[in-house]
Amino acid sequence: MILTGRRIVAGRAEGSVLASGRPLSLLGGVDSATGEVRDPESPICGESVAGRVLALPHAKGSTVGSYVLYGLRKREVAPAAIVVRRAETILAVGAVLAGVPMVDGVPTDLLRTGDRAVVDATRGAIEVPLVHERPVVSCFLEREGRILVVRRSEKVGSYQGKWSGISGFLEGSEDPEDRAFREIEEETGLTEVSRIARGPALLSRGGDTVYRINPFRFHAPRGDVRLDWENVEYRWVNPSELATLDGVPKLVAVYQATIP
Amino acid sequence: MHLTRDEERLLADGTPAEQLSMKILATLGDVYGADRLIPITGAHISGASPKTLGDAGVEFLEGFATTARVRVRTTVNPTGMDPDRWRDFGVPEAAIRTQERIVAAYAAMGVEPTFSCTPYQIGHRPKRGEHIAWAESSAVVFANAVLGARTNREGGPSALAAAVVGRTPNFGLHLEENRKATHAFDVRVPMRGYRWSLLGLHLGELVGDGVPYLRGCNATEDEIKAFGAALASAGAVGMFHVEGLTPEWREARADGLPARTVTEADLLAARDRYTTGTEPEAIGLGSPQLSADELRAVADLLEKHRPRPRVFAFTSRAARAEAVDAARRIEALGHVVFVDTCLEVSPMELWASTTATPSGKGAIYLPTLCGQRVVLDDLQELLRRFS
Repeated sequence: MILTGRRIVAGRAEGSVLASGRPLSLLGGVDSATGEVRDPESPICGESVAGRVLALPHAKGSTVGSYVLYGLRKREVAPAAIVVRRAETILAVGAVLAGVPMVDGVPTDLLRTGDRAVVDATRGAIEVPLVHERPVVSCFLEREGRILVVRRSEKVGSYQGKWSGISGFLEGSEDPEDRAFREIEEETGLTEVSRIARGPALLSRGGDTVYRINPFRFHAPRGDVRLDWENVEYRWVNPSELATLDGVPKLVAVYQATIP
Repeated sequence: MHLTRDEERLLADGTPAEQLSMKILATLGDVYGADRLIPITGAHISGASPKTLGDAGVEFLEGFATTARVRVRTTVNPTGMDPDRWRDFGVPEAAIRTQERIVAAYAAMGVEPTFSCTPYQIGHRPKRGEHIAWAESSAVVFANAVLGARTNREGGPSALAAAVVGRTPNFGLHLEENRKATHAFDVRVPMRGYRWSLLGLHLGELVGDGVPYLRGCNATEDEIKAFGAALASAGAVGMFHVEGLTPEWREARADGLPARTVTEADLLAARDRYTTGTEPEAIGLGSPQLSADELRAVADLLEKHRPRPRVFAFTSRAARAEAVDAARRIEALGHVVFVDTCLEVSPMELWASTTATPSGKGAIYLPTLCGQRVVLDDLQELLRRFS
């Protein structure tokens, strides 16, 4: 997987990712002598930032936090690189003071603690060699204001037992829409379907795979649903019910991506 | 961001401190989409106490100061202790040594030793339309809203970099369009004294980094100072307008905004949310530092009421000099007037575990910076209740 963003501080570094889904306060939140995260509210509390590729949404707290990064660098316990969704003053200034390569505009939720990452901040690229991207389609069939969801069987390769749209992997350089029609026919037996909308692709991390999800919405006016081995149950639900289902990751977001 | 030839030269051939300062400004300009650097008439720096700088900050400043010299008038925030009084108040020797290193570093750079969070009340008062680079959120919001000067909410390091270069990236509150109102409020309750602090806490939580516009109220300079300080601590606010009072209210374009009403219940809820203690061992005043007028008012009140908890009043050296009589009256009653420091960067934790204060900003920072439980209320009410 290669993620791209914007260079904030140039440079190149390699290291093990330390990822937090929540903003981190440097002043008070990180031990300036050891680099250990001490903020009890941080999901990476107890970990050390030393030599890591620190991945955060952004920093929070006092602007004097910039000096903490400088101090970490002086004690040789600074992060190897910083990647963030949104740069702000605290981390940007801190990275300049400490000379730590930094990139922003990165979907940091796709990174996991322990990933090995190569950060080329000069080009704004983050390569994660052991994580691979796989394109998939995810389709919602619509009938009289309701949409079809299916529950995945124990025999499929991922997210067993979870509710989902009709989905499947793309093969080779296949057109996503062709794959969508094929999956619908295989998984539901419905052939009389027409496309209503196609949404922009979404990325979702699962294990060592990043799924590039191509969202579709189809009209399926008639015909009985006949499931194949991939699913064990189906329901026609109100779109508002999606959030209440025990669904695959980003189920609601993928559906919403098909709403213009 | 576009750099002029002179700026490029400073980036390539300046002293190490000048190069680093240029790098900071250029990076921030790129992050926030500034088109260029603009000249500033002054700077105000935060980070002058051991508590807010940390060891790393002190080390940085000392190294930086060897090749840095400010190019514009630059003032600096309060230190962590009154240099003439710390011995009598149990401040550890090591903290004093650290403080002396910080003071020496700023002096070497040519920063005026004001050690005040209210530069605008002691002679560093920019005029409407001046571009400045100020840190200290309470001073930033005062400079923008009350003086009509233009500054972003700088951090300590970025304000320092701007002071050394004499320029700041042109974005945010330097631009007319970002100074317009984003939220409107009808204040339907009587406003005076510490109630402005409560209003600041309440609105700060509601508007985040927006620009609130207030209708139906009037204030003294010290009231608006307390309001702005609470507002800028509870939210990331850098600008506000008060109809008929602040200089840019006519240009704020608040007419189309739906107005939310502020009620008595809102103010009381703010007070209760920040009240975490019951029996104060100290009463803390001066966040931001008291003005000469406020010192006189405190002296009058203390001669009327005799509170059991000791009063710690924090002010600037300049304000104490102006109201030296009031300071003497306060101390004659067994209370303390400290200069060069303020309520939350001082070591209040040495003197109390619960502090009462009428300051909204104090109520936010006393728990985190000084480990205090807080009783937030009007000063006269506090003096009555705890006498």
